Amino acid sequence: MKDTDVLDSPNAIEFKSVTKKYGDVVAVDNLNLSIPRGKITVFVGPSGCGKTTSLRMINRMVEHTSGEILVNGEPNTAQEPHKLRRSMGYVLQQAGLMPHRTIVDNIATVPRLNGTSAKSARTEALQLMETVGLDTSLAKRYPAQLSGGQAQRVGVARALASNSSILLMDEPFSAVDPVVRQDLQKELLRLQSELQRTIIFVTHDIDEAVLLGDYVAVFAVGGRLAQFGTPEEILREPADDFVASFVGRDRGMRRLTFAGASDVKIHPLTSQHTPWQQWELKVEDGKPAGWIIDGRTIPGGSLFVEGGTLRDALDSVLSSPSGVGVAVDRNGKVLGLLKSEDVLAATEAERHRRYGVNA
Amino acid sequence: MNWLMNNLPYVGQLSALHLLQSIIPVIAGTLISIPIARLAVGRRRDGRSTAGHTAGSAFKRGAVVNTAALLYTIPSLALFVLMPLVLGTSITSPLNVYVALTIYVVAMMVRSAVDAFESVSPVTLESATAMGYKPVRRFWAVELPLAVPVMLAGLRVALVSNISMVSVGAVIGIQSLGTLFTDGLRRNLPAEIIVGIVGTVVLALILDRLLALIGAWLTRWRKA
Repeated sequence: MKDTDVLDSPNAIEFKSVTKKYGDVVAVDNLNLSIPRGKITVFVGPSGCGKTTSLRMINRMVEHTSGEILVNGEPNTAQEPHKLRRSMGYVLQQAGLMPHRTIVDNIATVPRLNGTSAKSARTEALQLMETVGLDTSLAKRYPAQLSGGQAQRVGVARALASNSSILLMDEPFSAVDPVVRQDLQKELLRLQSELQRTIIFVTHDIDEAVLLGDYVAVFAVGGRLAQFGTPEEILREPADDFVASFVGRDRGMRRLTFAGASDVKIHPLTSQHTPWQQWELKVEDGKPAGWIIDGRTIPGGSLFVEGGTLRDALDSVLSSPSGVGVAVDRNGKVLGLLKSEDVLAATEAERHRRYGVNA
Repeated sequence: MNWLMNNLPYVGQLSALHLLQSIIPVIAGTLISIPIARLAVGRRRDGRSTAGHTAGSAFKRGAVVNTAALLYTIPSLALFVLMPLVLGTSITSPLNVYVALTIYVVAMMVRSAVDAFESVSPVTLESATAMGYKPVRRFWAVELPLAVPVMLAGLRVALVSNISMVSVGAVIGIQSLGTLFTDGLRRNLPAEIIVGIVGTVVLALILDRLLALIGAWLTRWRKA
């Protein structure tokens, strides 16, 4: 727990026996959950598991049927809904920007609602654009003129305005393409390392949950909280069959995300002419540009970036047409080659370390 | 052409009267239609539409839209003649025209305004609610501006059809460019009738263009 909080309670939000019913249908069933301050907590689960409903109950976009939700130690019903909502950021799947307002005015929405002057709200909005990696030349544009990824960044900037200590994110990256999504995920982690807000993030994608979450809450169909813990705990010891099956068949692979690949030897490039390959790595300006075999050039696989995880290392080996992974530095320059046997040996070593055994 | 040159001040005066009788009912009718339409479109507290969710709200919407449409089937001349009886005005009072035409504008605009409010993205309204807008402020700041594009299409039709309908008032003696038709017919002056027709068309074209320009400015955010 970071030492940044001013309040006594280490938990920003607490669900206490919270139930939500629509008629006779139980959407959320007796939820007890404490969300730690300054961390990213991911709600993950299949459709209809109540994860979004639980998120929306926090800012009273959905009213809970029974139980109590404490926000910074106060029941969230203690203040009027609009005041509660202005105190937290909210990011939706389709960004939900106001199409008739410029980007800068969209970001300034909540400060303006709180009575900040137009001038200082705009100044703040321009700073926030830089914070989330948006060019301030976009400030006067309208949302229709942005790409999906840019719109989502504006959505995040808007949620950060007014210094809200709590951010609610409802499947914010699920409508953008995978490349942009990866960008946005990295950006969120970078932002969080600087800002240390309490973020509640809803997704149906377990990979996203594992990547982003300091903590993960797995919801099961019927609105039951199946497990709460760190991603590693959930992958290592699923609480029940539901979590085990939801976490999925690839969980062995996923767990390699938590293991560094510093043990894996990077062979110098000159060794590519050794008997184990007739493949030759094509290098342009020091960067890898595919593999050459029989005079043909074949596009290369994923690259292992220096300092990456064991999962990245394994993928670089498996996806490479030559069966040999390519390691690069942060600028994309070739460092050397990864051999599959070295990577497998590293996964073995990692397993031994994890369980503290030698066989 | 000679006739026009000789009667320029007269035509100008009739054009001004025609203009007033065209614009005032459109403004009044639109102002009346917007609240009716907004009430016909049910919304939940979070801004999502209830139409299609509950039988009651579907009925309410249908009742309002169809009643409005029914008003349009009353013949205009009958309405002009009926007005003095209802309002207690004299038969030649311009008020008759204002009120009767306002009813027609309402008949057309309620439908457009209902469509306009339904065209507003529920996600946007929901996100506005989640930002902390209260319903009334959300209506003025978000919902109404976003309904403008669809409403404007209806408004242009209402304005143009209203300009043509103003002429009918001439039959009961209320002055407008339509007076040139009745007068020209009585005095057998084709030139006067043609001036009346051309004048009405020109007026319609100018006002429609003007409205389109205002609309383009109000919806400049739509151009990607």
